[in-house]
Amino acid sequence: MDSVALRRLGFRLLWIALGVAFAFLVQWVALSSGQFNSNGQRLFFLAGLYVTLAVSLNLINGITGQFSMGHAAFYQVGAYTTGVLAAKFYSDGAGLASKYPLPWLIGMMFAGGLVAALAGFIVGLPSLRLKGDYLAIVTLGFGEIIRIIVQNQKSLGGSYGMDVKPKIDFIWLSTLLAIATIAISRNLLKNVHGLAFLAVREDEVASSAMGVRVTRIKIAAFLLGSALAGAAGALLAHHETFISKDTFPMDLSFIIVTMVVLGGTGSITGSTLAAITLYLIPERMRDLKDVPVSYAALGVIMLIVTVAFVRRTMEKDFSKLRTVKLVAPWFVSIVVVAVGGAALKNVGPLSKVIDGQQLRFVIFALTLITLMLLRPQGIFAHHEFSLQWLKKVLARFTKRSGEVAS
Amino acid sequence: MSLLSLDKATIQFGGLIAVNQVSFSLDKGDIFGLIGPNGAGKTTCFNLITGIYEPTGGSVTFDGKVIAKAGKSAGPESIAKMGICRTFQNIRLYGSLSAIENVMVGGFLRHRTGLFSALFDLKRAADETVELREAGMKLLQAVGLDDVADVRSRDLPYGSQRRLEIARAMATQPKLLLLDEPAAGMNPQEKMDLMEVVRSIRDQFGMTVLLIEHDMRFVMGLCEKIFVLDHGEEIAFGLPEEVRANPKVIAAYLGEAH
Amino acid sequence: MIHSFTDLLAGASLTTLPQQLASGILLGAIYALIALGYTMVYGVLKLINFAHGEVYMLGAYTALFVTWALGFTPNAPNPPEARVWMLLIMLLASMTVCAIVGILIERFAYRPLRNQPRIASLITAIGLSLLLQYGGQLVLPVSPPPSIDSKVNPFSDNVKFVLKQGDSALLTQAAGFQPKVDQAQAAFDAQLKSEKSQFDLSPRGEELKKALEDVKREQKVVTDSANASKVEITLPKGQLIMLGMVVALMAALTYLVMFTKRGRAMRAVSLDFNASSLMGINVDSIVTFTFIVGSSLAGAGAMMTATFLPGTQINTYFGVLPGTKAFVAAVLGGIGNIPGAVLGGMLMGIAEVIVIWLGYDAYKDALAFVVLIAVLIFRPGGLLGSAKVEKV
Repeated sequence: MDSVALRRLGFRLLWIALGVAFAFLVQWVALSSGQFNSNGQRLFFLAGLYVTLAVSLNLINGITGQFSMGHAAFYQVGAYTTGVLAAKFYSDGAGLASKYPLPWLIGMMFAGGLVAALAGFIVGLPSLRLKGDYLAIVTLGFGEIIRIIVQNQKSLGGSYGMDVKPKIDFIWLSTLLAIATIAISRNLLKNVHGLAFLAVREDEVASSAMGVRVTRIKIAAFLLGSALAGAAGALLAHHETFISKDTFPMDLSFIIVTMVVLGGTGSITGSTLAAITLYLIPERMRDLKDVPVSYAALGVIMLIVTVAFVRRTMEKDFSKLRTVKLVAPWFVSIVVVAVGGAALKNVGPLSKVIDGQQLRFVIFALTLITLMLLRPQGIFAHHEFSLQWLKKVLARFTKRSGEVAS
Repeated sequence: MSLLSLDKATIQFGGLIAVNQVSFSLDKGDIFGLIGPNGAGKTTCFNLITGIYEPTGGSVTFDGKVIAKAGKSAGPESIAKMGICRTFQNIRLYGSLSAIENVMVGGFLRHRTGLFSALFDLKRAADETVELREAGMKLLQAVGLDDVADVRSRDLPYGSQRRLEIARAMATQPKLLLLDEPAAGMNPQEKMDLMEVVRSIRDQFGMTVLLIEHDMRFVMGLCEKIFVLDHGEEIAFGLPEEVRANPKVIAAYLGEAH
Repeated sequence: MIHSFTDLLAGASLTTLPQQLASGILLGAIYALIALGYTMVYGVLKLINFAHGEVYMLGAYTALFVTWALGFTPNAPNPPEARVWMLLIMLLASMTVCAIVGILIERFAYRPLRNQPRIASLITAIGLSLLLQYGGQLVLPVSPPPSIDSKVNPFSDNVKFVLKQGDSALLTQAAGFQPKVDQAQAAFDAQLKSEKSQFDLSPRGEELKKALEDVKREQKVVTDSANASKVEITLPKGQLIMLGMVVALMAALTYLVMFTKRGRAMRAVSLDFNASSLMGINVDSIVTFTFIVGSSLAGAGAMMTATFLPGTQINTYFGVLPGTKAFVAAVLGGIGNIPGAVLGGMLMGIAEVIVIWLGYDAYKDALAFVVLIAVLIFRPGGLLGSAKVEKV
């Protein structure tokens, strides 16, 4: 082995070690922060799964450009595969699953991934003939069909659901899966193969004329994306110990798509950050207690006003104050809502309270709409977050304000 | 020997016969012009040769192999691999990829490493990527775009986009290069440069070139043989000066009354 | 709304088929009405308006509130007498409110994103749909799920269409059983008086009880076969009126689109958005107009289902399933194609009822998607649409 190859190997090992170390760090943080609160631990666990889902969908949607809206179905297939296998091999705490939890779980990730990939293959077939909206609809339909079939199978617990025993709960494994998904996507894009995937997204006709095997690439993207989602499903099944139709609602697919689009289609870092953010927004608000109507009403009003103002500034105002005008309204609104809400808290009908649990999805939806209205190309657009990119953005930013000043 | 030959190739769309019993053959190393008025069926011919359309009759032979016959075609991907590559009349670059990345996609069809090695970033995939990048840079140099290698192709000026398309097609290492109106929208200086580029491609890389072009000065100055289509039918074939003098060609371009 | 239809269906016997088909047509008419909204918006904006199902939901709530305002509040001791003008007010209110909601959605959620990639609008549409579902829970009555008082509907009596008279011999025979049953019942009742309890009968009592059960069973067998020999369709008058209304609305829409200036402009915009604006068509006003028409049709559909299908419960997810199916109907017929939406809606309604009739109730919601996928794969443009071929 020559020295270059050795160094390459060294770097590779270092990265893997860092990834594993990070995964355990996450587990440590989760366990210590959520010592008396299993919900806190669940948060870290699920965050890993959501990142996996979003980044794996980004492979299909963002990188290969095949607009798929049925991603939750693969997640579900992975979970139910695990459920069926666990039921077979569990046998009252004496089976394989309880004797060797870690190898079992890793095995399940592969099994779930494999079956999900099979589903992905079937769902991917229409992508050979359909594009854009139509493909989106068909994938959505496939996802629903899988969901309905599962919930009508007696052997899968029907609409009641099924138990998955035992509870195997490795937070680090979920983090590691997310890291692996990110690494795989990044490796793909680093090499020329990734360019072929991007080429299919950009122009299929030109790609096939350049000899790119469009069909193979589309199928490969679906296989890969669905397998990773299936592996996430396997982890979920053993963590939750009970899966049912309500574990995988129709909205879930929408939410995953939203994560990808919001992060910036094709951007791995974007998908990752958007997944964490969009997952945490409703989750963190589980603690939200009763909110007086005065706050909620003022919040909605100020949000509309602020979005309108900021959009106007983005389109028309290039003066020196542009930055201020983009940022300040948010702070002003927060202050107005805080002060006004407190002041009006006891006034007539405004004093009623809203259940925080109901409010959190409303806030989720509002966040979604607001972000889309203000940054439709997604947070990162096509870019990846890197120091270079940050420098470029900052340089452009300072240059622009400098130009205006002179 | 002939590299490509069409034998009574016909394409019919419903009632419209776009290409009617066209036969011609190209010799290795020629720069070949395909001309004719708008709607004569030139681009359809290209789509037929590159496998985007299937012929409804006749056959196409390339390098001794039949690549298309009535109702059947090897398909664009295989045809590209056999050694025919093209540019498009309306530029079809990968807009959000950089110039060098566009060219690298062209080179991808001869890749040796599998998807697996790319997903795990194995050395052989990384090496191949570097190789393709280097080969791509050489091609960008050949068309004079090496200084904008990292610019998004969407942001390049029109003339550069046309040249980038040629570079991308060349990256597939074709034996036959099809250029669909390569000089469209260029100013006279750019056209002169392009003529040089095409000539040097042929000389340096030994490619055979078939091009569609409306600019007669460009065609006459560059092509060694010219084939004229009108209403899907062959009306003339020969050296530039023969074609220029052919009364049928003049009639097709200027109308019968002339 | 789906359940009230399924209740009508029991057993896949051929003689019940006409009744099922009639239900399927009614269901399909509503799907068609909603599908028109999807198809028209897609026609002009090339956008799948995911919030359309929620517009439909708001239409149902509006109708509910109007009935409350008219005095049909839940548990009201003396609701006023049902009148046709009340239904008209409900219809107009639903259509108006939905039209306004449609305008607002277009103006504030879609128009700002018109020059952006379509996926951005699609995500916003999903966001809006979630917002209306969850936000609706905060401000609308949801628990217990309200429904429109059946007394609002003056047309609740049934209309019976006899397609084939029953076998008269069987019918007489069935009718002939009634005296025998009465007799056995009377004998048993008389005996019961001298028994200690209903559950501890003397041998004589047991004998009489058995005789009663036997004769009842025999009666049932004969009655069933007598009923199976006749073919009838029974529909509440209200649902027939609903069908008539749908037809009238569609006729009005056809006139609007085919024979008015605005309709022509709308068709032009759907063929080529940019060229139309260059030709001096005010595309913004046409888009708004499209949303008004599409949303008010959904409003009309919602008001009619909520009123004429007894026991329809309203909640904020009221629009999700009908919305999804109507959307499938629009694609089935060829999205962007108005007659296609009607055809698609009818086919979806009938197909759904047939699946239930065959005994696969559980899969009736999957059916929509199976149909959809089959259509898109084998005829991507839909039944009446044409797939666009990309020019190279």
